[in-house]
Amino acid sequence: MLKTERILHLKVQRGRTLRAVREHYLRDDVSCWSPLCGRSCPKDGKLLSEELTHYVVPDCQVLHDYQEVLEFPELKGVIFMQTACQFLQYRRGRRQYRRLRSMIRDPRHDCILFSNEFQHHAYLPREMGESAEDWQTRCIYNSCVWYYQHCCGTVPVVMVTEDEGVIHKYSNETGGVYVISFKSYLETFWPDLKDAQELHESLRQSRQELGLENQEKTGKEYQEHLPTEVLEAGIKSGRYKQGILNVNKHRSQLEAFVRLQGFGGKDTDLQSDVLIHGNKARNRAVHGDLVAVELLPKTEWKGRTGALCDNEEDEKTGDSQSDVMPTGRVVGVLQRNWRDYVATFPAQEENRSHGTNTQKILVIPWDYRIPKIRISTQQANVLQDFRVVVRIDSWESASLYPNGHFVRTLGRIGDLEAEIAAILVENSVTVNLFSEAQLAEMPTNTPDNPWNVDDTESGRLDLRKTHLVFSIDPQGCEDVDDTLSIRALPTGHLELGVHIADVTHFVQANSYTDMEARARATTYYLADRRYDMLPSILSADLCSLLGGVDRYAVSAIWELDSKTFDIRRVWYGRTIICSSYKLSYEVAQQLLDGDLEPLNSDSELQPLSQDQKRLEQLLWALHKLTEVAQATRSRRDRSGALELEGVEVRVQFGEEHSIDDLIPKQPLQVHETIAECMILANHWVAKKIWESYPQQALLRLHPPPRQEFFKELKDCALARRFTIDTRSNKALADSLDKANDPSDPLINRLLRTMATQAMSNAQYFSTGSYTEDEFYHYGLALDKYTHFTSPIRRYADIVVHRLLLDSVNKASKDNLLGNKDLDELCRHINARNRAAQQCQKQSVELFQCMFFKDKDPERDLRCTCDAIIYAIRTNGVILFLPRYGIKGAAYLKNNEGLVLSCDEDGTCHWTQGQLQRLPDRITVSAQAGNSTSFCLFDHVTVRIRIQASRVHSDIIRLEITSNKPHADPATVSPSPHNQLVKEDLVKEVTQTVMEGQLADEKAEAQKLNEHDQEYRQTQGHSLYMMLEEVKDLALLDVAEA
Amino acid sequence: MAGLELLSDQGYRVDGRKAGELRKIQARMGVFAQADGSAYIEQGNTKALAVVYGPHEIRGSRSKTLHDRAVVNCQYSMATFSTGERKRRPHGDRKSTEMTLHLKQTFEAAILTQLYPRSQIDIYVQILQADGGNYCTCVNAATLAIIDAGIPMRDYVCACSAGFIEDTPLADLSYVEEAAGGPQLALALLPKSDQIALLEMNSRLHEDHLERVMDAATKACKDVYAVLDQAVKEHLQEVSAMLGDRGMA
Repeated sequence: MLKTERILHLKVQRGRTLRAVREHYLRDDVSCWSPLCGRSCPKDGKLLSEELTHYVVPDCQVLHDYQEVLEFPELKGVIFMQTACQFLQYRRGRRQYRRLRSMIRDPRHDCILFSNEFQHHAYLPREMGESAEDWQTRCIYNSCVWYYQHCCGTVPVVMVTEDEGVIHKYSNETGGVYVISFKSYLETFWPDLKDAQELHESLRQSRQELGLENQEKTGKEYQEHLPTEVLEAGIKSGRYKQGILNVNKHRSQLEAFVRLQGFGGKDTDLQSDVLIHGNKARNRAVHGDLVAVELLPKTEWKGRTGALCDNEEDEKTGDSQSDVMPTGRVVGVLQRNWRDYVATFPAQEENRSHGTNTQKILVIPWDYRIPKIRISTQQANVLQDFRVVVRIDSWESASLYPNGHFVRTLGRIGDLEAEIAAILVENSVTVNLFSEAQLAEMPTNTPDNPWNVDDTESGRLDLRKTHLVFSIDPQGCEDVDDTLSIRALPTGHLELGVHIADVTHFVQANSYTDMEARARATTYYLADRRYDMLPSILSADLCSLLGGVDRYAVSAIWELDSKTFDIRRVWYGRTIICSSYKLSYEVAQQLLDGDLEPLNSDSELQPLSQDQKRLEQLLWALHKLTEVAQATRSRRDRSGALELEGVEVRVQFGEEHSIDDLIPKQPLQVHETIAECMILANHWVAKKIWESYPQQALLRLHPPPRQEFFKELKDCALARRFTIDTRSNKALADSLDKANDPSDPLINRLLRTMATQAMSNAQYFSTGSYTEDEFYHYGLALDKYTHFTSPIRRYADIVVHRLLLDSVNKASKDNLLGNKDLDELCRHINARNRAAQQCQKQSVELFQCMFFKDKDPERDLRCTCDAIIYAIRTNGVILFLPRYGIKGAAYLKNNEGLVLSCDEDGTCHWTQGQLQRLPDRITVSAQAGNSTSFCLFDHVTVRIRIQASRVHSDIIRLEITSNKPHADPATVSPSPHNQLVKEDLVKEVTQTVMEGQLADEKAEAQKLNEHDQEYRQTQGHSLYMMLEEVKDLALLDVAEA
Repeated sequence: MAGLELLSDQGYRVDGRKAGELRKIQARMGVFAQADGSAYIEQGNTKALAVVYGPHEIRGSRSKTLHDRAVVNCQYSMATFSTGERKRRPHGDRKSTEMTLHLKQTFEAAILTQLYPRSQIDIYVQILQADGGNYCTCVNAATLAIIDAGIPMRDYVCACSAGFIEDTPLADLSYVEEAAGGPQLALALLPKSDQIALLEMNSRLHEDHLERVMDAATKACKDVYAVLDQAVKEHLQEVSAMLGDRGMA
């Protein structure tokens, strides 16, 4: 090793420079990560692939400007020089650098980092008077030459740059090392990669524009952001607060809130969010950014607006404001959280044509909360009717809008596929087909080459002969995660087993499949399709615990006392099982109730009708299982626990996403039994992995809610003279049980919805990052909880499986994730889960809108239905439509200032008048003299119409037509059998869309159909899975409400 | 600077070393003729000078006299020009006082003090240039100076620091790595017997990781030992050659 010194001049505060000397060691053993190198470089770790025709090396400027282009996985053999990476880190900050790092780590990208500055012969010291850019270029070129020679000249190396001078200077210096511009590189080497070329072009244009602008502009639209050091110091001293900026969806021009983070501030009395009023105060921060805010003096504080409004440009005067709240202004952005945005070009007439070939155009993002983005493109006319993806590049203080660039198109506006793609992009979900490398890792299971279990594998307990294993799932389910078994032991004790699909047997840690599953983190369920986390050979076949075939499983087996059902012993481990019966919930319930009818109808059960002994065995198991579940449930209740998941089961009926239509009105007893067994398994596994790995176990917590969020719930309940006690989870459940109006069961459902909305999200976490008393799961009232039972569709469960198996096998800790990595992973999974919920919600809304779109609201009976008022605003009410599960606002005062007045018979019309808002009612007094009141929980009749929008998603508008409950003989609300089931809705919409497309382009529709078939393999969910989903859905962020 | 990557994915530290590698050590013994023993050492850019006087009779107050062993008197100081900005420390600051105390403890454990009852050994160390691992460099310098003075010790005292960054123990931290604020452990070891003369740790480290960091520090100390031993042997060869020359003449 050779020691040299590197002299740096660092800037210290107060503007002086400081001379710092750093050591710099040069070595000969820097690994080149190339499979072709003939020397003794270590070959472990990620290597470049072998069949490359050339290597490409971007220089500093190319990496800095076109990192996104380099992220195309199609570009292979990219060598990032350390010099360029450091330049990127220095110039573009930590976030971009982290992105680069994760790309280099990702085995799907064929790229490596070569630490050229540590290699003895590749490094060149900076010469006196040499500019940093020259030196970096020289360094990178020299490293290219070294690399070329290191690989014995077998592979040409292409250095790409944007600087003509560099091309001129170096291009003919060494044979085998070429220096060309990035543009010509893309054109000559990757002529097929049109996307990359387009992206490159669009980036180049936006850079040019930026350069021009910087020269022109002098006027400031916004205040400059403060430098980072000042911000950090200010946050420490408590002068500034830091938090994530949340823009109000309904008043995106005006209101944004900053949820404060960290407890750095000295005055902890500031509990609420900080209001940022107006665009000037928001100072270029975009929704989701981490910002520092300065509080304004109290005299300038404002309140949030209580009136309904729909994002129109005309800003209402703030006469209807509630009490003031802390107000501030953004002084700096600590971390941008820009992502890809879906946007639409403005309609032709609005488009101010510049006449030049490059146009600067303000595109309007799909998300209301994002400001318009200025992009420059030549394709504006072509892309007029398309949804496109854009990225924000910068937002200078001199510019009213941020600058961005066009990335790609998604499809035509209004097209189902384009709209679904838009939803996916908005939630940062990428679902490509599984790559060949991933599928190559999968075992095969074809009729001529069937897959079989390997009996000889050591450490696997064979339960095929000894245990009666069965699964209970919804009808037609294909991915069976969980099976159960129960039997009496010779000792008189009972033995309960929960057997979960052994996904980790097939998915090795850090394999391609594993990486992909980790990136997806969960299976995405949209209204009409789903995107699997694992390839279908696993999810629907080899991992699925189907009836009558041998499968690998991971089991948790408890020995229970046969009387008290106390747990005596527990065993965890890998097993082989063969599920005897695959029952559906309905069949299981019928059997439990003593109804033997299914024996004749169900082909799988038919042999049982002859075999009395086996039938009795199954019946006994079902009954025993129910008993055990009831006992464990009541034990949880007794030990101070509450039935919050019970609450949530009921809450979901009142949930707004029309999912309630999916849910059977009367949950069967057997649903609860299965759920209880799964909770038991999750709980015990959580305890086990936490004991084994106190610092690095993945658990799930549900924090207790903040009391102030319950205010709305309490107020609402008071309107019907119910009191809600929110001091503990048990008190809450009890008081919710009592708050039941026998005349209108809907009220209880709504109250429960509100209670759920007041709660925070359940989340995964790494035990090393929290103290033990924070592990508590408020909803389930368990001290430790995790997810173990659905590894096929959740990545968290896969991690838990690995932890559990390692702890059982006493394997070394080395291959487990450390606390820091696990913490990062948990954050990723939590974010993905939220995205999955959002996708699901938005896709359902999309279908709702499509359903109503072509109906005439005046004539179609389906557009008129019953609604219940559950919140009051100053100029309208918020309604819940039990029939469709839609929540929406209805105005009592329209834009012309007319109010909605009701006649004797209940019909409503617009007239002159006044509105008066009281806590639990809103009174309309018409000028004609009659006045009407709308109280909380009143039933009214509404008409549904769709407000179409070109750039945003369509919105459902509600219009009150009568203040009497809707009395339609066909659908007497809220009777339990108004059955426009969500699935029907989805199907109907899909069909109409399909038909339209079929007529247009048959071939494409065919493909679409195939997709549809593929993704709709299982419409069914297991109840437990569904409950979990709905629970997550129910726990919405209150800030959005 | 907070974003500085202290350990890259490729396994290199900011200065190009790998996790377990030491900085370059250069040492010279017997740099001053006036003192009984002296040594100069460079560990990377950290440079230290150590001088030893004694054993001699107790100076100053007689009350400090120990009747069964020698008193070890240490003094640690930093030159005003040792850091990036010149800083005067006239009577030593708290950090120096603490360091003095640590040095004293270290060498009381290593020197066979019971051979010299009622006498005193003085060790003066000065940091000429500070670039991380000051304590360790001082210990190594003082060891060489004591050997140069011919004072019997149980074993060499070799010291090295170790840190823990991104789940990896790093040996021999430089200033940049120390400034990042991660856990940092200084170990002074008697390498042959594996006995610990002094162990100090700053900031929090989970106990699960302690063993690995200790292993890294121990290994680093043994590497330091090899270098110091080499330096002593070379010095001996030089001296004996000189003696031999004189004998010839």
